[in-house]
Amino acid sequence: MELQDRLEELNASGIGVAAISYDSPEVLAEFAQRRGITFALLADIDSTAITDFGILNTVAEEGLGPNGDDPEVVADVAKYVSMFGASNLIVGTPYPGTFMLDAGGRVSARFFEEFYRERNTTSNVMLKIGIGVSPVAAIEGSTAQLKFTAYPSNSSITVGTRFSVAVDVVPNTAMHVYAPGAETMGYKVIGLSFEPDELLRFEPVEFPESEIYHFKPLDEYVPVFQQPFTLLQEIVVDASETSEGIMSQMDTLTLSGTFQFQACDDAICYLPTSLPVSLTLDIDNPDRQRANSR
Amino acid sequence: MRTLILNVIGRVICATLLLSLSALAAAQGRAVIEVATLGPQIGDPVPSFSLRDQHGQNQTLESIAGMNGTMLLFHRSADW
Repeated sequence: MELQDRLEELNASGIGVAAISYDSPEVLAEFAQRRGITFALLADIDSTAITDFGILNTVAEEGLGPNGDDPEVVADVAKYVSMFGASNLIVGTPYPGTFMLDAGGRVSARFFEEFYRERNTTSNVMLKIGIGVSPVAAIEGSTAQLKFTAYPSNSSITVGTRFSVAVDVVPNTAMHVYAPGAETMGYKVIGLSFEPDELLRFEPVEFPESEIYHFKPLDEYVPVFQQPFTLLQEIVVDASETSEGIMSQMDTLTLSGTFQFQACDDAICYLPTSLPVSLTLDIDNPDRQRANSR
Repeated sequence: MRTLILNVIGRVICATLLLSLSALAAAQGRAVIEVATLGPQIGDPVPSFSLRDQHGQNQTLESIAGMNGTMLLFHRSADW
């Protein structure tokens, strides 16, 4: 289970971890034993905490109520409850997601989805909040201007997975590469792009904050990256029934893309470079095993 | 005759008012759900809780929290 796999890294970063659901302690004990879970699984049996946190899924009850046939309710049930219609099982559940709290107990980040079948992976959360993950299944490369490591947050994905491909870039001494905004001055901004795939939705690439560089030969002030930095390409695996059917016939999925950049030192600019990036991910089937106790 | 006319006018006004009210009620509809806006936002404190864990031990935010913070994962069920 992914959160369990990442637990040591999270704890080493000083982050406490707990999962909350409406299950009883007995159901949670069985699940913990079956999956080797060592972090706290909290039993919010009456959904009191879920309700106090303001994230109780009210659509579940609506779908079973007198307005259940209202087209708006039906649409919301498909989005927030189940593609197969309203069910008693969902009553009392939260809209699923993660709150990151700082040392003072205040929310520092939140990761919630608008479609119940999409889910941020723990590794994706860790990448996005800056804890980082150890590169696994990584591609490493270097040119005369920089070194880079491209790796997925998760080496296996399933229906609805929200994960990222990270590229750690280390410009060589005295080198810089171009950040968003530099294209207005005719420079090639660093980027990562993948070929479209019917199963995947690509979010805009996330860039860290850049710095302004004064290029003396042309007296230009340009946004650049000079220090080591990471690009994040977030990807969502489609969660429709059709996609689930297609993926059930596949063992792996390959991302084919390009890493492109233009590097300059304080005297000259090098030609824009395009390097192929290919990453193959394993496809998992969702765990649907149920506990024996209630 | 005049009474009749006034009566009819009165009923038409009533009917129009009723129609407008029900149209208004229908137009107000359901609130759009936007999960991103639900619950504590960035910078907010979170509600306190006291829940038993899988060992039957009571846990609160204070007992769960790490030195640098906490990850609270809300999920639908461990059971399905």
